Amino acid sequence: MKLLSIELKKILPYKTFWIIIGLYFLFLALGIIMAEYIVNAMVDDVNTKLPIPLPHAVLFYFPDIWQNLTFFASIRFVLIFPAIVVIILITNEFTNKTVRQNIVNGMSRSEFIYSKLQVVFMLALIITVILMLVMFTLGLIHSDSQSLSMMFNGFSFVIGFFIQMLTYLIFAFFVAFILRNTGLAIALFTLYTIIIEPVIYFMLRAPFIWKNTVYTYLPVNSVIRIVEYPSIPALKKLMNFQLQDEVTLLACAVPMIYAAVMIGIVYWTFNKRDL
Amino acid sequence: MNKLSLDIAKGQVFGILGPNGSGKSTTLGMILDLIRPDSGSFKWFGQEPSKESRKRIGAVIETPNFFPYLSARRNLEIVAKVKDYNNADIERVLRTTGLYDRKNDKFKTYSFGMKQRLALASALLNNPDILILDEPTNGLDPQGIAHIRKIILQVAKEGITIILASHLLDEVQKICNYVAVLNKGNILFSGDVREVLAISDCIELASSDNAALKAAIEEHPAFHSIIESDGILLAVFSEDVKPGTISEYLHQKNIPLSHLAERKRTLEQHFLELLKDNES
Repeated sequence: MKLLSIELKKILPYKTFWIIIGLYFLFLALGIIMAEYIVNAMVDDVNTKLPIPLPHAVLFYFPDIWQNLTFFASIRFVLIFPAIVVIILITNEFTNKTVRQNIVNGMSRSEFIYSKLQVVFMLALIITVILMLVMFTLGLIHSDSQSLSMMFNGFSFVIGFFIQMLTYLIFAFFVAFILRNTGLAIALFTLYTIIIEPVIYFMLRAPFIWKNTVYTYLPVNSVIRIVEYPSIPALKKLMNFQLQDEVTLLACAVPMIYAAVMIGIVYWTFNKRDL
Repeated sequence: MNKLSLDIAKGQVFGILGPNGSGKSTTLGMILDLIRPDSGSFKWFGQEPSKESRKRIGAVIETPNFFPYLSARRNLEIVAKVKDYNNADIERVLRTTGLYDRKNDKFKTYSFGMKQRLALASALLNNPDILILDEPTNGLDPQGIAHIRKIILQVAKEGITIILASHLLDEVQKICNYVAVLNKGNILFSGDVREVLAISDCIELASSDNAALKAAIEEHPAFHSIIESDGILLAVFSEDVKPGTISEYLHQKNIPLSHLAERKRTLEQHFLELLKDNES
């Protein structure tokens, strides 16, 4: 608790932290509001070519809301915001050289790493809890008695979302500790998430039979894949294959292994390098 | 750094003197766990170093490192928390360093002198057993230098062990009672300040055969050291030796002199000679 309370003293008065977290929730809210419109616009578009029109999608009722909202909250463009917060909080210590002061004042190097991991864990937990409360409220508003009885059927998606958030923030933690420079770390991390991984996907040509497997196991995609699709009945009909029903342990295991290796590398290098 | 070995006893005000790049900050960085040495060891309070020993040490390292968006008070609260102290001592150190009136202003609004004083305040928190100061007056204006030195001298009187690294000879002389002179990672001299930095005069000598002259001087019973620059030998003797007696001494040895003069040395010159001596 001591380490976390030191971190809170650093974070709570920090305006940039609140601005980016605020932006994250703003984008999230916009996404949630627009999601239904966008999906139904797609349904309308498809309906013009179908003899029997598909029904309009309703995203926010139990139990599908768990899957739908966690899906929209974990797309690359949204997920990047809390990751940037983590990068800034860690690289700040290097650019302000406060990491040196912390060590000189009697923090061990491992404690320093541990304190940042606590921040990462708490941030992932708090975001998950807030999102969960939002989903719970929205679900209660939109659900009838029948769907209320299945309220917690899709709860594994909430746990999956927490794992997504946690592991993705650990990736950010890793990049921040290795690069130590705010601008560089944010630029590379954003570039990798949004451009490099998708480009790798397109570069692997079709005859390459491992294409999908390789892409599945790339770090950021392994995170995204935990909640892979939204649950929309119309979409299920169109795609004509079994969409995701729940979060699988295997899907969570891949990014968690990445995260564990990254934490290991951070411990190893941070204990060796000069500050 | 190269085979540096130092023992610093409790209550000493120990100066590490050396030009820029001589390894002062590296040495302090290593004993504060900022820089990992390739080999070697050190002890704090006679024990293996740990984070607990660092909590009993107050340190000002190169630049003042604080969160720019936090006030002096909040920055010191973080320091206190890391060191497992409560906040009771914060007001005292802010007063000692003359920052009390500005304690609620953000660190980034401070002048460099004030930032340096805040670093000193954080080092003084809860009266550490050892105070480590790395170039504490570097980059300050004369007023700021005087202010910092006054605080250090005041603390030194209280019997806290102080380790001060500086490239300013006069700073070490004013503050310290023990000194190690460092150059290029090697210790040149160490000991009592009055001995190491003793201002003895030297004698300038030259002759047609400087090698023979040098050999003769080195045989003199009161010989201390000799260096050669631009064809002139500078000899230092451990006791008061006048040019006249030297002239006589050399005359007996049959070495004719072409130049003989007594030179008063300034401290700065002496320091430079200590360094130069090591290079030759």
